[in-house]
Amino acid sequence: MAQREKVNVHKDFHGAMSYGIQHVYERYGEEAMTAFLRQVAHEVYRPLTEKLRKEGLKALEEHWRHIFTIEEGDFDLSYEGDKLVLNVRQCPAIHHMKTHGYAIADKYCEHTRLVNEGICHAAGYECSVEYDQENGRCVQKFWKKN
Amino acid sequence: MISCTEFIWTYNELFKFLHEQYGKQAVIDFWIGISDDFLGNLNALVAEKGTQGMYEYWNHTLEEEGADYTMTVEEDHFAIDMHRCPSVGLLNRGPSSKYADYCEHCQWLYPRIIEPYGFEARCDIIDADQGACRLSVRRKSESAN
Repeated sequence: MAQREKVNVHKDFHGAMSYGIQHVYERYGEEAMTAFLRQVAHEVYRPLTEKLRKEGLKALEEHWRHIFTIEEGDFDLSYEGDKLVLNVRQCPAIHHMKTHGYAIADKYCEHTRLVNEGICHAAGYECSVEYDQENGRCVQKFWKKN
Repeated sequence: MISCTEFIWTYNELFKFLHEQYGKQAVIDFWIGISDDFLGNLNALVAEKGTQGMYEYWNHTLEEEGADYTMTVEEDHFAIDMHRCPSVGLLNRGPSSKYADYCEHCQWLYPRIIEPYGFEARCDIIDADQGACRLSVRRKSESAN
């Protein structure tokens, strides 16, 4: 992403993000929430999509390692054959929101699925996520479409 | 997970999405919602400590965001002269276009929290492209109350 040179980590933004997701979901419905997050994938993550298309899963591996390291998440990255696996044992966003008393959107973790799909599908890749929002854990997998 | 370091771009898209789908009032309603329902920490600090609470809130957030600013803190007066807003700086570097009324959100978020505690507050946008603005807060005079 563009801010790689200097990273300012303001974790209260996770609470604001959650508020925004809940606002759209409650006021305009799940379809609107989905459309909004698809737009985020398309507009915000366009550079990552292009990198994934050009460089393959290494681009995603670097992205997740960077993000979860600066956010101080408990995670590991590995490969199962041709699949990149991101195992998040403690999600930094959920952890921060719980610690600081921020409301967590009903469908908060759905944003991971929707944004990941938006990035991957545009680049010719597939992905999956199994999440446990209550406990802030998830397993995300990424692989190239056949 | 959308990282908190990607939040500004994401919120910018939310403003654009709401405006394009539902009109400008939907964006304003969202900003009012954040002010009323999300910024309870600022509200509590202003209620308890007045201008010192404002200092504590913005000193924390602006330092974490890496802002270039000057802050003035007196008992009855508080001001932030934002020389280069970090959010605008990020949005100017892409990857997507900045919401045309992006800077307006501060005008909706902060005065409505501060003013009920006996202050007058205003946000003046000086240069939206460069991210220069001024938040100015003064205690209302007795005659104005």
